[in-house]
Amino acid sequence: MGDVLAEGYNVFNTNKSPEGVIKYLGAPQDVIGLIQSGKLGEHILLVRGGTTTFLAPALSMGAIGVITMSGAPESHLGILSREFQTPCVMTAYLTSSDSRYVVGETDDSHFEEIARELDGKRVRLDCTDHEVGRVVLAD
Amino acid sequence: MTTTLPTPGHYDVLNAVVLKQMAAGAAVSEATGVGLDDVDAILAELAGAGLVFMAGDSALPTDGSAPALAEVAAERYAELRTDPAVLAEVDRFEETNTQLLTTMTRWQTVEVGGRQVPNDHTDPAYDEKVVARIDRLVQGLGPLLDALAAHDPRFALYRQRFDAALEAVDSGRGEFVSSPTHDSVHTVWFEFHEDLLRALGRARTE
Repeated sequence: MGDVLAEGYNVFNTNKSPEGVIKYLGAPQDVIGLIQSGKLGEHILLVRGGTTTFLAPALSMGAIGVITMSGAPESHLGILSREFQTPCVMTAYLTSSDSRYVVGETDDSHFEEIARELDGKRVRLDCTDHEVGRVVLAD
Repeated sequence: MTTTLPTPGHYDVLNAVVLKQMAAGAAVSEATGVGLDDVDAILAELAGAGLVFMAGDSALPTDGSAPALAEVAAERYAELRTDPAVLAEVDRFEETNTQLLTTMTRWQTVEVGGRQVPNDHTDPAYDEKVVARIDRLVQGLGPLLDALAAHDPRFALYRQRFDAALEAVDSGRGEFVSSPTHDSVHTVWFEFHEDLLRALGRARTE
């Protein structure tokens, strides 16, 4: 296994190991732009929350992998990712940082740091562990 | 109503697009009770105002959609937001919502040897127990739907959609429990939750 950049909850166990360039999606317009680009399948999608609703069109149109920075596998997005069988790592944290998400206690700097560090990196998701999902730097 | 959402129909159509995130006119019409011709005309207006983006026959929300709805909702649901009958039921709903999400996960997965694995739906007794639990949780929404419908009759449409989904499940169509490509119980529940939060002017919590 290569360098593990981030870890989080593995929403469901799968041997799928999608690889792509991480793209941070912060607003509905970002999803529209990605769909219009025709390059949805080239990206691992990074969003802030497990309740991020604007991701649904991307999932239904074939997103290959998702990373969230908050939320639980039981959340709406977790349920959707299992239905679409889209590998998903939730409440991911950087292995190089001590910052962890705590409900109601985490400020924007936590999310900004993760987005800054991961956005644009080519990674693959390792979702073979029953509990931990890993974001691995691709060769 | 604002200049961008001049009628309740405009709010209802845009609201449905935002709830569904990607929807053709027919689905919007079904969810709102607004006639298909009117839906198509309103979607064209909303697209012209930059409040939806049309991808083929489907409408997607833009960055301006939610703020436009929030502005109108503050006025449209001002009385609802202070109605003790609504607020009492809303407090109960938050707990019910957590139970529903957990139950949906139990529909999708089963515990084997302490690990969660995909539910292959070969254990009818397990599935029946989960569906019965979902049915009880949905029926428990009755008083909240009634309280909301007293302010806006469109909330009564959720009861019809829940009933239709549960009837489909009862007839053996398990995809109507949680499939996002059907008007499943989870789809309807999620849309209702979002709709409720917008009416109340509240944000989701993780």
